[in-house]
Amino acid sequence: MRGVRATVDRLDRPSAYFNNSKHKRRRFEKDQRDGDDDTAGMHPENREDDDPLKNATTLYVGNLSFFTTEEQVYELFSKCGEIKRLVMGLDRFTKTPCGFCFVEYYTHQDALDCMKYIGGTKLDERIIRTDLDPGFEEGRQYGRGKSGGQVRDEYREDYDEGRGGLGRAIAKERDGRDFVDDGRLR
Amino acid sequence: MADYDRRGGGGRGGGGGGYNRKRRYRDDNDDDHHYRGNNSRRRYDAPPHVRIRKQLIAIAENPMIERHDEISQIANLFTDNWEDDVLLRGNFVDLVLQLCVEQPLKTPFLAGVLMVANTNKPEVVDMLLEKAARLIEDKLREGEWRDVKLYLKLVGCLQGVMEGDGIFGVLTELFERAVGLQTASSEDTIGTEIVKIILLTLPYVMAAGSPEQQQQWQQKAADLLENTAIIASEPHPLQAVIEPYHPEPSEENPTQSQSLISLLQAQLQIEATQGWALSCLPRPWQFPVSEVEVASKLASAPKHTLPTIIIPKTVVTGPRPLFPEVYISVYGQQEVESVPPPTSLASSLIRDALLDTINVLHFNRNATARQLIEVDCYFAPRTFALRGTPFDRLRDIEKPKSTWKPEDVAVDAVFTQLFLLPNPEHKLVYYHSVLTEACKLAPAAIAPSLGRAIRYLYRNAPRMDLELAYRFMDWFSHHLSNFGFTWKWTEWVDDVELSGLHPRKAFIVGSIDKEIRLSFAQRIKNTLPEPYQQLIGPEKEKDVPDFKFANDDTPFAAEGREIAALLKRKAPDEEIDAVIQRIQSQAIDRDLDALVASTDVFVTCVLYVGSKSLSHVLAAIERTKDRLADAGAASDASRTQIIEAVMAYWSVHPGVALSIVEKLLNYSILTPLTVINWALNVQAGKTHGEALAFAHIYELVFNTVIKVTGRVRQLVIKASQPDEMVDDETKDAEIKNMRELFRAIEDSLGAWAQGTKDEMLEREDGSEGLVKRWGTRWLRVFKRRQAIEEAFLVEAVRERERKEEVRKEWEVVEQQRAAEKAAKEEEAKKNAPAAENGASGEGEKEKENGAEVDIVE
Repeated sequence: MRGVRATVDRLDRPSAYFNNSKHKRRRFEKDQRDGDDDTAGMHPENREDDDPLKNATTLYVGNLSFFTTEEQVYELFSKCGEIKRLVMGLDRFTKTPCGFCFVEYYTHQDALDCMKYIGGTKLDERIIRTDLDPGFEEGRQYGRGKSGGQVRDEYREDYDEGRGGLGRAIAKERDGRDFVDDGRLR
Repeated sequence: MADYDRRGGGGRGGGGGGYNRKRRYRDDNDDDHHYRGNNSRRRYDAPPHVRIRKQLIAIAENPMIERHDEISQIANLFTDNWEDDVLLRGNFVDLVLQLCVEQPLKTPFLAGVLMVANTNKPEVVDMLLEKAARLIEDKLREGEWRDVKLYLKLVGCLQGVMEGDGIFGVLTELFERAVGLQTASSEDTIGTEIVKIILLTLPYVMAAGSPEQQQQWQQKAADLLENTAIIASEPHPLQAVIEPYHPEPSEENPTQSQSLISLLQAQLQIEATQGWALSCLPRPWQFPVSEVEVASKLASAPKHTLPTIIIPKTVVTGPRPLFPEVYISVYGQQEVESVPPPTSLASSLIRDALLDTINVLHFNRNATARQLIEVDCYFAPRTFALRGTPFDRLRDIEKPKSTWKPEDVAVDAVFTQLFLLPNPEHKLVYYHSVLTEACKLAPAAIAPSLGRAIRYLYRNAPRMDLELAYRFMDWFSHHLSNFGFTWKWTEWVDDVELSGLHPRKAFIVGSIDKEIRLSFAQRIKNTLPEPYQQLIGPEKEKDVPDFKFANDDTPFAAEGREIAALLKRKAPDEEIDAVIQRIQSQAIDRDLDALVASTDVFVTCVLYVGSKSLSHVLAAIERTKDRLADAGAASDASRTQIIEAVMAYWSVHPGVALSIVEKLLNYSILTPLTVINWALNVQAGKTHGEALAFAHIYELVFNTVIKVTGRVRQLVIKASQPDEMVDDETKDAEIKNMRELFRAIEDSLGAWAQGTKDEMLEREDGSEGLVKRWGTRWLRVFKRRQAIEEAFLVEAVRERERKEEVRKEWEVVEQQRAAEKAAKEEEAKKNAPAAENGASGEGEKEKENGAEVDIVE
């Protein structure tokens, strides 16, 4: 972190997720390219300078209900600034919303403010999660879970009505036993 | 690329590392255990600087510890390790200075630690004063007035351990600057800000010393107060513009709000006559009789000289524009006083500290909310009633005891920001989020306070400045969306029958629409009592509005359907051209405006094709943007028809319409002037003025104005930076456009306000008065916006000049200081071997690394 550490934690920092995935990706790239490139072997001290989130204007938004619409996202997220682009996360197979989206603002400051003021508050009566993101790329709008949605919805053990009930893998496994009753778990 | 869902499995760093990693997943439990075990063991061994950091940051938070115990404990831990831990000294001083600007409620307690430490290691106070003096100088030059105030507050709290005049010298010189500024211009706001800082520092100074010391300072304080009176009592010309309430002419007592600074002046004068009791301020440096030893040490502790603080001859406004401020409270006019009355200095002191806290801690709303809820920890004991005392119980409290409800005081402070004109420091949604968190942290205590605030605001909505009434609605609906949309709607049931022109009915209708926008119609309908249900028609529950050309009775129905079909299969332009030609020639036959007719059909079709979601309509607009742009450029009437079609198609869901208009403005398919003309003349005319009561029409106009003024501001700021290339022509053209826009707004609204609009005469229900009043309220909002933008343009130039002056002045100071320092070093070399110098320099460098070493490495 640059500068003096604040006496109170900041809410506009990227989560550990991105930092971790950065390392993973680096390793992944290295494997793929068989070590013949130099980006993979980048020195750790260079990382700060080309931090891809330094000027990030995009946010990943998670824990949405499958039923939350673009319009609702617009309504809430516009409170932090004009939205440049909104990409809803879709089930890879059904092409229906699967509970996440990318919100892109015009400025980095708006994205940071969104982290501070909207992340962790409710949209459609669910606490949503925001994370700074280096930017949307084609393909990322699709869930990467086995059955098309997000991976977290495969093995979820709790019943979440807004996100298709029980985790799909678990639901499948339990199907046939007498857990299911008029489509709802008790 | 990045893999959002792979988080659960693999790829984890080593267990226990990375202390800021979020731990939410079950598979982290093992790590967690490990981590906690380590942590608690390590706390024992944690080096003193780590322990001190932790304790200092948390100072005064725990109500179960005696304040003076806590203070001596930290001070002793610090001074005991003075020799062994070199990192500690610099770190400690830096941390104190950081805390007093980041968590300003804690300043008096930090001062307490310093005063106790002073009895053992007086050097620490010298170190701190030196650094504080330099910081104050920096902040003065930058115009960071809040930081200036917060550092002065700390230094003021240390007045008791200072030689001679101490801080009074600085305050006096600051006052001279203010006088200079005020004499130069009656519109000056910097001078007023400086006086405010002086007046807010003074109480902390007066509370800092022993009774004997206070006796000595009383004359100085009296002199200062006598001087500030003229500036503080002079009403600022801009005050009328930022007035939050506008009583209706019929109302009995059209009292104007009082300016914050004149109140403050009056409160201090009262306090002076009462011998500066300052009963709300904490004095953690006063030890009980049982601790004679510390008390006597404190009394005989060494005194220090405040280093020179150079106050620049020219001062700048700084990064935030300065405006006069007025006192508001949502808890006025109650049978029992639940917040300090405006006559009491406590009202200013507590609110000032809370507002600083709120605005400084914007980066962690949870911390803000917590400090607000714990406000009673940071003031003198018994300043407040017990936390969570219900309002109804306040009247049972016997007289000398306080009836001030900490929750009310905290909530009131947030509302002053939410309702600050022209703008609060941060985005409005920040203040929403603080109230949400406070409500989550202590629902039983905060929710009833909010409820009373809402009722007060609702009652007063008709008198409120329209911009504030809109903010209230926006907050209210957003807040409810975080708490299951529950509100006691039954108590307003009688107002449902009011005319749409009544401000309270407008509030109800607007709030419900905003709730639906954040949720969906059926859900909101379920939260409302029966009488409100009629406000949500069945058309609200449809996902997609009806396509008017599906009905054969609509003119051009066949053509409409044809174009929609062509758009759907992305047919080539020529095919669409042919249909449009047909519409136009038919329109001419029917004696209609051909362009308007074809534009209406085409735009409605684009909307229909894109009706599934915003991205659908945006894609549809993107594909047809050339044709839309041509339609917009063809004639004023045709351009107006574009927005007319959008607003008509989405009339049931205005939120969607507004998003589309925003994008059409970005594409320059619509111009701001078209939007304003449509709203204030076309639509307001069609409804005989009733549209002025619709929240979404206000939102549309306001957003458009903000877009235009925002662009002008951006260009002006860019143009003032040397390395940015902005040609003056673009900038001047934008400014000209902005002024034209304001003129158009003023013309339309002026006519509504005066009742000279033609459509007004057609009102037969005797409601012209209400329409006129809406016109007046609108007009005030946009005249203020205009005044602010014009002031910004003037100030931008002046501020640049002032900054240049300050820079030049400071160069001279720096040269002088460098010369003095060199001379001193020369002297030192001659007199003694240079041993001391190196050590402190190294300490500074090492500190950088030390600061990062924390409880977990």
